[in-house]
Amino acid sequence: MELRIKDVCFSYSSVPVLKDVSFDLGGNELVSILGPNGVGKSTLIHCINKILAPTSGTVLIDGKDVSEIKLKELAKQIGYVPYSANDSFPLSVIDTVMIGRHPHSRWGTLDKDLDIVYDTLRMLGISHLAMRAFNELSAGQHQKVMLARGLVQEPEILLLDEPTSNLDVRHQLDVTKMLRRLSREKGILIVMISHDINIAAKYSDKIILMHEGSVYDIGTPNEVITADNLRTVYGVTAEITKDDDAPHVILKDALPMDEDCEEASEKAVPSVEGKTDAAV
Amino acid sequence: MIVDSVAVKGEYVSGNRRRVLWTLSFVVLALALFFVTLGFGVFKISVVDAIAVFFDHILGNYVDPRADVYVWDTRVPRALGAVIAGSGLAVAGVVMQNDFKNPLAEPYTMGISSGAFLGATLGIIMNISVVPFVPAGSQVVANAYVFSLIPVAIIALFSKFRKLTPMSMILTGIAVMFLFSSISQILMVTAPSESLADAYAWRVGSLDRVRWDAVPMMAGSTILLGVLLYMFAGRLNVMYVGDRSVKTLGESPMFIRLATMILASLLTAGIVSYTGTIGFIGLVGPHVARIFIGSNNRYLIPASAAFGAAFILFADTVAKVSGINGLPVGVISSMVGGPLFIWILIKQRKNVWA
Repeated sequence: MELRIKDVCFSYSSVPVLKDVSFDLGGNELVSILGPNGVGKSTLIHCINKILAPTSGTVLIDGKDVSEIKLKELAKQIGYVPYSANDSFPLSVIDTVMIGRHPHSRWGTLDKDLDIVYDTLRMLGISHLAMRAFNELSAGQHQKVMLARGLVQEPEILLLDEPTSNLDVRHQLDVTKMLRRLSREKGILIVMISHDINIAAKYSDKIILMHEGSVYDIGTPNEVITADNLRTVYGVTAEITKDDDAPHVILKDALPMDEDCEEASEKAVPSVEGKTDAAV
Repeated sequence: MIVDSVAVKGEYVSGNRRRVLWTLSFVVLALALFFVTLGFGVFKISVVDAIAVFFDHILGNYVDPRADVYVWDTRVPRALGAVIAGSGLAVAGVVMQNDFKNPLAEPYTMGISSGAFLGATLGIIMNISVVPFVPAGSQVVANAYVFSLIPVAIIALFSKFRKLTPMSMILTGIAVMFLFSSISQILMVTAPSESLADAYAWRVGSLDRVRWDAVPMMAGSTILLGVLLYMFAGRLNVMYVGDRSVKTLGESPMFIRLATMILASLLTAGIVSYTGTIGFIGLVGPHVARIFIGSNNRYLIPASAAFGAAFILFADTVAKVSGINGLPVGVISSMVGGPLFIWILIKQRKNVWA
């Protein structure tokens, strides 16, 4: 499965969000998209799975332009786990996850679908929630259910928008590690948006670092997570150490905020710092 | 591990079986009320005797011709009308709530009732028929049917040219509703008193007018559209995830919304044009069913239909014995439905909807 993004631009009514984004991904990898708030990470993902149509440029899957692939076909190739802070469904967990089987469902597939749903719930350690009402669950449980819904879709590419944002440290590590494992076991390309640099660096095969609507740097965690890059993109000074051959960021300070970069640095610093402390 | 999987599956299947059982008990309740209501009305006859007359007629022996006229010619079609109106409006309510992810949506949200009323007043007061070659007796029904679909047609047309959000669709429906109501009001202000009374009586939903000649059309349209809507049940479930994610599951949210909204509107129009506006069942029916069944549309749609039928049969039975010569069912359904709904909201442990 090869994903090629070529010169993708996107504007929300004349406000440019993505500017000439290009990169190629392929193989059974876990890729993390990093970058400050509002840099266009979600927009980029939405352009890949046709929630949005790029203003210009193309997205190709195995050489085929997604704009020419029917939604129904695309749903079998690309799975999506939305940012799920306040989603709510009046359904049981099992029915909620079953919705993810929709692109594959036909008459008489219920039994097989239930098996897939159950196996996925087990893998995520939430099979005991199967019959509970989705709306009664905690935020972290919500997120795992949404993750399950994306996984039962059995896609070749799985896109996740901050899949660990509501999880505690143990679950953050566990889910991210599991995503890496799944990319190998199921042979899929997993692309996730993340705000935790250290966890992303620890488990990702590749990091895409976004800055002002474009790809600032792309490569292995060791190549991308550098003090210079973090300084430019997040507006922070940091010390990079090594942990198990992966870069580990120790945040030092936020750059003085002048009016121009206020938004980017203001939001990025506390959230990164908070999560890093907790993760360490 | 295998045992666990079997256990979850078993629990899932038995949960669904419980939903079917609830639906069946609503059906049984509706069936019982269908026979009970035959014994109520201006003509005095006991429930048991009325049921006897009903079966006598089916078996072809008319023991008491007078009773036969009252029971078979008036009460049976009226009871069938109650079943059709209750189930049809409740199903339309489920679909509307789903389409707009809004617990306040109901069959009349899109301005259907105001359209129907305007059509009816045009027929009653102005004696205008918008459909050519319609016999004078069916003029009001035909007018109401055509006009009730105008608001939805406007919304559907708008969405062709502009990207309408679900919220702006509802707001468009409300705007059209106000426009139509004001035109109806102008007509009523200038109307002579006899036709004014007729128009007013039409507005308050009543099953009085449902006779045998209306049943085939009402039943045919409701069954056909109900089946078509049920075929959307799986896709309506997908709609729960929100428009963005619906796309990533391979469906177009706008198509599902427009298609089911149009079907639900046709369904509603086929009922209100005969009965006038029977309120509240489209709102309460789905909510009550949700409490027992949950929100999986594969089970919720039939359960709402069965509950709606039982509820309107009950309301119409009360309506027939209220006042001197009975009251319109639309009044009773809202009068019973309002407090019932508030009671449900208070009693409910959790928010079933969201």
